[in-house]
Amino acid sequence: MYGRRASQLLRELASCEAGQITSFNDDNLEQVIRECNEHNLQLQSLIRKIEDASLDIQTTRNEDHYGAVIHHLSLTRNKRCLMAYIFNRAEVIQSLRWKIGPVLPQEIKEKLNYLEEEFFKNHSAAVESYMSELDLDMTVDMVPPKDPYIRVKVLDDIGEVFLNDHTVNLTQHSLHFIKRTDAEPFISQGLMEEFLE
Amino acid sequence: MDSITPSGGRRSEDSATRGEVTDVDLLKRAWCNEKAAPEILHFEAALVQRAKEQIQLLEETVEEFTADRSDDLLVSLYQMDLDRSLFLLRSYLRIRIQKIEKYMLHISKTSLWDRLSEQEQRFAKKCIDIMEKHLEQSVLSRLPYGYQSMLKQSISSEEDDMVPEPQLDTFVFCKTKNDVGAFQLDDTGEEIVDLVADDLYVLRYNSIKGLVEAGRVDLV
Repeated sequence: MYGRRASQLLRELASCEAGQITSFNDDNLEQVIRECNEHNLQLQSLIRKIEDASLDIQTTRNEDHYGAVIHHLSLTRNKRCLMAYIFNRAEVIQSLRWKIGPVLPQEIKEKLNYLEEEFFKNHSAAVESYMSELDLDMTVDMVPPKDPYIRVKVLDDIGEVFLNDHTVNLTQHSLHFIKRTDAEPFISQGLMEEFLE
Repeated sequence: MDSITPSGGRRSEDSATRGEVTDVDLLKRAWCNEKAAPEILHFEAALVQRAKEQIQLLEETVEEFTADRSDDLLVSLYQMDLDRSLFLLRSYLRIRIQKIEKYMLHISKTSLWDRLSEQEQRFAKKCIDIMEKHLEQSVLSRLPYGYQSMLKQSISSEEDDMVPEPQLDTFVFCKTKNDVGAFQLDDTGEEIVDLVADDLYVLRYNSIKGLVEAGRVDLV
């Protein structure tokens, strides 16, 4: 049925938790685009029919005109759905730069199509150049600070890291008391967690 | 307490007692307003510049103290102060950037564009190019002729009818600074509220937009 596939794309977005992303639905998108082009063919042929009958295209209100209107409206509806699908996904992808950082983990990458990966890279570069213009890293400090130091537990072997003029060996399962700003990048990459007693 | 105030450092101790408003207070206010407003507000260029300078001073102070091996408690107090100021600044800039990411097209087409800092404008331009390219390649270039515009649904649309805009008629919490008096909430003049100093109100952002921009009420 016309129009159903497009709304399915949006339902997929809506059923997803905020900030999460589902696998890119290539098949559905292709079919909706094909549907759009079919609508256009029908639309064009109806317009030609009106013109062939040498009627004025602006004022004619016969069955062909209304048929053409329906095809036109279906097409714009499909376009709105397609754009909303891509745009909303793009918004989530933008937010990933802030939540995860410049490198996406494999399990998220798998859900994006190649254009979206490209989009992420470009957007990430734009964010970085803005931050370097300001000379300020804006991706740390996502929550208001309470204490400048926090206790963290290392979840994965990180190795020797240079923190605050001395090196720390961050081996798996070890506990450290370090600066919150130093810990944040590791936490957002899932390599550390805040240790709460 | 005066003895620990580094020369040229923040005057918070002194000014707090005198009831003055420090830049950190101003930044906090700007941050609150920006956080609560549905649309982007004017960039506080001078304030951000001052905040940055003070943060740098504070950083130098902390470094000095650490080098001197002075009291650890003192250092950590300064560090905490520094962290809080840094958070405010980062968060303020971040909220703005995220608004730009969301409404870049709307901002670029309206007078809101003038509210951005130079750096933000450059960022917004890049963002628009990136988004346009992405939408173009994913969908637009594959649609029939006449339906390929990013801003219009079709060639027959007279206005740009595909630009996401912030919802300005949402409700916001706001606090009046001083008496505003009888204030008209809508164009028809049917709803009038008496805004008294230092009181809290829940109103539609649309109707108090002017007051926020003029700095007569604060959003909370």
